[in-house]
Amino acid sequence: METVLSLKNVSKNIKGRPIIKNISFEVKRGQIYGFLGPNGAGKTMTLRMIVGLIRPSSGSIEICGVNTRKDFVRAMSNVGCIIENPELYEYLTGRDNLELLRKMEPDIPQSRIEDVVELVGLTLRINDKVGTYSLGMKQRLGIAQALMKGPELLILDEPTNGLDPAGIKEFRSLVKSLSKDQGMTIFVSSHLLSEIQMICDEVAIILHGKIIKTSKVIDLTIDQKITWQVTNVQKAMKLLLDDFGIEAVKETEETLSAFTDDFRLTAINSAMMSSDIGLKYVFKKQKSLEDLFMELTGGETIG
Amino acid sequence: MVKLIENEIMKTFYKKRIHVIAGILLVLIALFAYGEHYTLTRTQDRVSEQLGIENAEDWKNIIGQQLLDLERRLDNPYIPEEGKASIRVRAEQLRFYLDNDVSPIGSSAARFMGQLMEQSIFLFLPLLIILLAGDMVSGEVNTGTIKLILTRPVKRWRILLAKLLALSMLEMFVIFMMALFSYVIAMLVFGYSGFNEPVITGFRVVESQLDTSAVRTIPQWQYLMMTYAIGYFVAFVIGALSLMVSVIVRSTSASIGIMMSTLIGGSFLSLFISDWKVTRYLFTVNLNLTSYISGSFQIIEGLSMTFSTLVLLGWALGAISIAFLVFTQKDILA
Repeated sequence: METVLSLKNVSKNIKGRPIIKNISFEVKRGQIYGFLGPNGAGKTMTLRMIVGLIRPSSGSIEICGVNTRKDFVRAMSNVGCIIENPELYEYLTGRDNLELLRKMEPDIPQSRIEDVVELVGLTLRINDKVGTYSLGMKQRLGIAQALMKGPELLILDEPTNGLDPAGIKEFRSLVKSLSKDQGMTIFVSSHLLSEIQMICDEVAIILHGKIIKTSKVIDLTIDQKITWQVTNVQKAMKLLLDDFGIEAVKETEETLSAFTDDFRLTAINSAMMSSDIGLKYVFKKQKSLEDLFMELTGGETIG
Repeated sequence: MVKLIENEIMKTFYKKRIHVIAGILLVLIALFAYGEHYTLTRTQDRVSEQLGIENAEDWKNIIGQQLLDLERRLDNPYIPEEGKASIRVRAEQLRFYLDNDVSPIGSSAARFMGQLMEQSIFLFLPLLIILLAGDMVSGEVNTGTIKLILTRPVKRWRILLAKLLALSMLEMFVIFMMALFSYVIAMLVFGYSGFNEPVITGFRVVESQLDTSAVRTIPQWQYLMMTYAIGYFVAFVIGALSLMVSVIVRSTSASIGIMMSTLIGGSFLSLFISDWKVTRYLFTVNLNLTSYISGSFQIIEGLSMTFSTLVLLGWALGAISIAFLVFTQKDILA
């Protein structure tokens, strides 16, 4: 598969302090790639380096095979992005905001504006001043801006920040359809593990300016924590150990917990059902980012 | 590039900066016109009272009276020598007008337009331009939209160049508004255009003496063209400096504040330390370019049209270079 975005040994020092330390990763065509890390880990700084707002102190960044420092214009003509917030001219109408962007690049046809407006569902309010928009509408206009060019690579920084649950859901389906229907490569940063799990294929995890892990999202979720509520805890633990090789932990008189993946969970549950363990409930505890970092760093705190 | 400039002009118009500037211009020009009108009628009244004659309308009587006033002030022992030098130059100039039978006063739209530019070129016009240019870059940093335009596939220097060119066009528009508003208002107040009246220009002040060797008489419209062209040049220089400050600092208010205090502080400085040679290289003391063609007295010795123009040009070029250097290199962190 073709590489759309690649970072090689990228570092950034500000006033002599290393902020980003020698990070490297690759995003392949068509992927939804997550960039996960707590606030202050260096996500936005890295994104800003990718889109040319900040120059790296060392290392190289390539977009569609073009080095951003050597040929910024050609590299960036493949990119649409929202960095932090959608940046809009509040005193202009939604349409003028898009028109302004259209004029910045050669050969984007006028009809493209109608297309992206329809895509993000802003047709009704597009001729109103942006100052009168709600946050959700601004977010949509921001996405419309990023899509103006019909980019190869879409870069989104904390895109669901400030959105209500309905907005978040809508956003997820938009991202998925962009990836599926248009084959767009999407690079999305977030501090929420669940967010990344829901939409991404692959993920790079950043902490203190260092990439501590890059992996398939499926591999991250392999050992989610499951809790069973049963009448006979001892027997349930024995069953898990004997039949599945899983060492469970007794939590209370009626509950035990263990780490397992989705595939084996079905088998475990049906085994428990058919025995006389007395299965009442099965809980899945969504692993938090903190749990993940505890695992990855062996207890180093995020703070 | 044309499209980038269009964008910049569109932003400025929708931001309503131009509207604010037009409003300020209208109010101040109206006040200035009223003031001129009032002063003229009062002078005429005073002269006819003093001379006991009816035809104070005749400009020669008024000038004659003004000359007498100036000579009386020259005899005043409490006026310092520097003050007297300026009075002497003014008196000689008036005598020259009398001798050549050309009126330096009177009310016509053309004369008013000229005076407006002469009075505003060193402070009022620069302030308007600072208002216009001060947020060209910092305004976009303030609202974050700088990130939007700098992540498009356009080289940074092209974006700044578009801003600079848009600014030069907007400056031209401000000068045009100044001319238009002052013409319309002056026509309402004085009712006489007088574009073909003669004006005497080319006075030079050399060692506190009036030098009339290069003096010519030209029609008002020609004098106006020169004055407004010079006004545009000053606007461009101030625009370039404001743009540089706007690139360097992050907030619009800081950018406008820095430029305004430099402008006002700089002109104070020229009053206080006028014998310190370095001050002549400050841009603020060289802004009053129209005074060279009208022949007013200079506070700082040895300044000339050529010198001041070169100094201003130097500042503008320096500012533009720094602006481009900083803008193309800097990290957008906020």
